[in-house]
Amino acid sequence: MRESPRRSWRPLVLIVLGLLLLVFSEAGYLAPAENALHYVLDPLQRIFSRVAAVFGDLFQTVREVRELRTRVEELQAQVDALTVENVRLREYEAEVRQLKGMLNFMSEYPLSAPLGAEVVTREACDVFPCGEVVGVETNPYLRYVTINVGAQQGVEIGMPVVSGGAAMVGRVAQVGPRTAKVQMLIDTESAVAALLQTSRVTGLVVGQQDGTLSMEYIPQEETISVGDIVLTSGLGGFMPKGLVIGQVTEVQQMDYALFQSAVVRPAVDFSRLELVLVITGFEQIPVDESESEEPVSEEP
Amino acid sequence: MTIPLLVTVALSQTVLVSRIDLWGGRPDVMLLVVLVWSMVRGMNEGLVWGLIGGLIMDLISGGPLGATTLALLVVAFMAGEPWGLGVGAPVIRLLILTFICVITYHLVLLAVLGWTGYAVDWGWALLRVAAPSALLNAVLAPFVQRPLDWLERRTRQERFVL
Repeated sequence: MRESPRRSWRPLVLIVLGLLLLVFSEAGYLAPAENALHYVLDPLQRIFSRVAAVFGDLFQTVREVRELRTRVEELQAQVDALTVENVRLREYEAEVRQLKGMLNFMSEYPLSAPLGAEVVTREACDVFPCGEVVGVETNPYLRYVTINVGAQQGVEIGMPVVSGGAAMVGRVAQVGPRTAKVQMLIDTESAVAALLQTSRVTGLVVGQQDGTLSMEYIPQEETISVGDIVLTSGLGGFMPKGLVIGQVTEVQQMDYALFQSAVVRPAVDFSRLELVLVITGFEQIPVDESESEEPVSEEP
Repeated sequence: MTIPLLVTVALSQTVLVSRIDLWGGRPDVMLLVVLVWSMVRGMNEGLVWGLIGGLIMDLISGGPLGATTLALLVVAFMAGEPWGLGVGAPVIRLLILTFICVITYHLVLLAVLGWTGYAVDWGWALLRVAAPSALLNAVLAPFVQRPLDWLERRTRQERFVL
């Protein structure tokens, strides 16, 4: 039976409590309590995810067969195109080698692979911690995932997270003992220094609320082409250079604006993220300026 | 009983339900549970469920701690009030109240995110996320009400009349 509709202070008290919770959380006072509660919640989440995955697999097989068939056809077409390009590149390679020889150029060859090019093979998981996605963000306006590796596996806040093919997923935002929350590239608070592979033009890739990416602060005089590959530039020292962010799908240019921008399709399908790799071996360069040095005393 | 139930609901939300996206709308099981419980059991209990459920959701979420808690408290308060009682069929009241509460929930979430420094596109959020979510959750509300009605009857304190 419902309680009699007698006015009480409880709703007001609880709403004030909720506001205080928010304020103290933003001020950082609740971090120890949060960490303690994570010790209880994280194992439950991992177990729940494992159970759900078993049932999910059963239902997913039929749908996957159909999707896989389509995907195989697409990949076959890509392979054919890449084979042709490969032949052409080998021709260029041979020409370059010849020209270097003619110039007596003593540099080393072949080209080194970008950091993370071999990631998320099972062998790579022996080097860096691989995490399975065990939870998706519950807030409809944020873009985070929870992975099942945490501080015990050497994960720290700020570490880059990638998926197959050195495609960037995001960075570690919060760390628990055995889980971590990853802020995805498409989160509105995410901002990554980037560059275009062909023209080497730099900009900033930010997440949009609709789940797309936008590369901004591109100088007006630079030429951007649809199809350009966007990579991390490494500027600022927060991310390794050369991780794949996505591909330009649209250029937005207005004559009166200081900068132009581009819509970027992410390289990662964030709705189907299952396995990621945390790059624990990348050392971030601190960007805070050192405190002012003591003035050198001049000798009289 | 309350805490294990709400933990299960929260984990279901993050592991399973949050992956569902229908034209931008997502089912929000925790919101529905708090809303319906507040309707069937009263505002006071609804507020307690909102507080506990919101805290659990905030711990799981990557957003500010207290955002979901505050939003669920407001929902529990609204659902616990006897607006529109006796006007039309109960299921109609449930659908309308759910729609309004979901919109309010999203407004509170957006306000908190904006206040804590997140970039918020109000127009896009309300049209492309809040409105579809409100419709979707309104449709789902009767399905959540049935088991919670049963739970309410099972856990109601017996009155002995001599």
